[in-house]
Amino acid sequence: MANRRCLQFLTRRVSALFSANPPLHTLSTPPPLSTHEPLKALVSKSPLIFSPNWSAPTRHFSSDRNDGVDDSEDDDDDDDIGYSSDDGSLSKGGGSKREYTPEEMAAEAAGIGYKVVGPLETTDGVFKPYEPVFAVIQIGSHQFKVSNGDSIFTERLKFCEVNDQLILNKVLLVGTSSQTMIGRPIVPDATVHAVVEEHALDAKVLIFKKKRRKNYRRTKGHRQELTKLRIIDIQGIQKPEPVVTEKPSKTHGKKPEKVAVAA
Amino acid sequence: MALRGVWQLKKLVVSYSDWGGSSRGIRSFMESHLPAFKEKNPQLEVVIEHIRGQHPHLKGLYNNQNERVVCVKNMDPEEVLQCATRLRNSLGRKVVKLRTRHVTKHPSVQGTWTTDIKF
Repeated sequence: MANRRCLQFLTRRVSALFSANPPLHTLSTPPPLSTHEPLKALVSKSPLIFSPNWSAPTRHFSSDRNDGVDDSEDDDDDDDIGYSSDDGSLSKGGGSKREYTPEEMAAEAAGIGYKVVGPLETTDGVFKPYEPVFAVIQIGSHQFKVSNGDSIFTERLKFCEVNDQLILNKVLLVGTSSQTMIGRPIVPDATVHAVVEEHALDAKVLIFKKKRRKNYRRTKGHRQELTKLRIIDIQGIQKPEPVVTEKPSKTHGKKPEKVAVAA
Repeated sequence: MALRGVWQLKKLVVSYSDWGGSSRGIRSFMESHLPAFKEKNPQLEVVIEHIRGQHPHLKGLYNNQNERVVCVKNMDPEEVLQCATRLRNSLGRKVVKLRTRHVTKHPSVQGTWTTDIKF
């Protein structure tokens, strides 16, 4: 049945060829794919059928070319799609050892972890004494309320080594004892400086799965990779002046006592 | 592995055997990756020990007198480098489950909230 339909289609095509002598490009429009294989089957048969009528048309048999062109086109398309998907999968599969350009690194760091890696530490008195200023920081999906001299354990930050200085720029809230600045959602021009202290693995956690009476038991160990950050400095808010008057008063108090004793 | 700017790993002892097959990786690590590792960490004292008849291991000695031993038998040189880097990256603290992810000495700036506070 399908063969008969295809034959009719073919005959119509061929008659169109002969009647109007249309240019080949009109016939290059591919026939529907469903008729592809039957056409292919027919192509093999067609010379047998049509050769007694004329000789040259077997060469001009545009359906042949169409099929060839279509096959090649579709094959090319499939191949292209295959290659692109393979390339994509390869690039995604090799993500663990992917080499990042510096711009990519900075962009990813800024996008995911909200940090910009500064230069390595210069040991110039970076670690200041405690100041009564706090800030709420976001790193990745976790938020911390942080002050000077605190240490924070976050998920492993990719693009920084130990003893690197980081600038955390996603600051949601800054405050002192007298003032609070609430960000919508970030406080602009507020930065928190931190130093990477450690890249280490957490203690092992055993993941045990069991389904009772079903003979199913699995044990898996997991160690999470963490980064320890020490907060050095919070900028973006007016800090209160430190109270230093206590020490001189103490020494003044001591001296007259000693004088009295000596006398 | 730097507490307030001070590197915590003082000494790295690379123990290997020249006869055993489990030391193959660490032997090639010593030829290929160890010089670069030494240059990257000038503050680190790397000692090479030859122990025959035993599996190879890396020993890390930290400032807090803690010793971490990692057995590197039958490992590739890249894996040995990863182990050495991990030792250098960590403080010498005991591997215990974390209590909190935020360690602070001054938990409150504006005063801890109680039910009696009225703004």
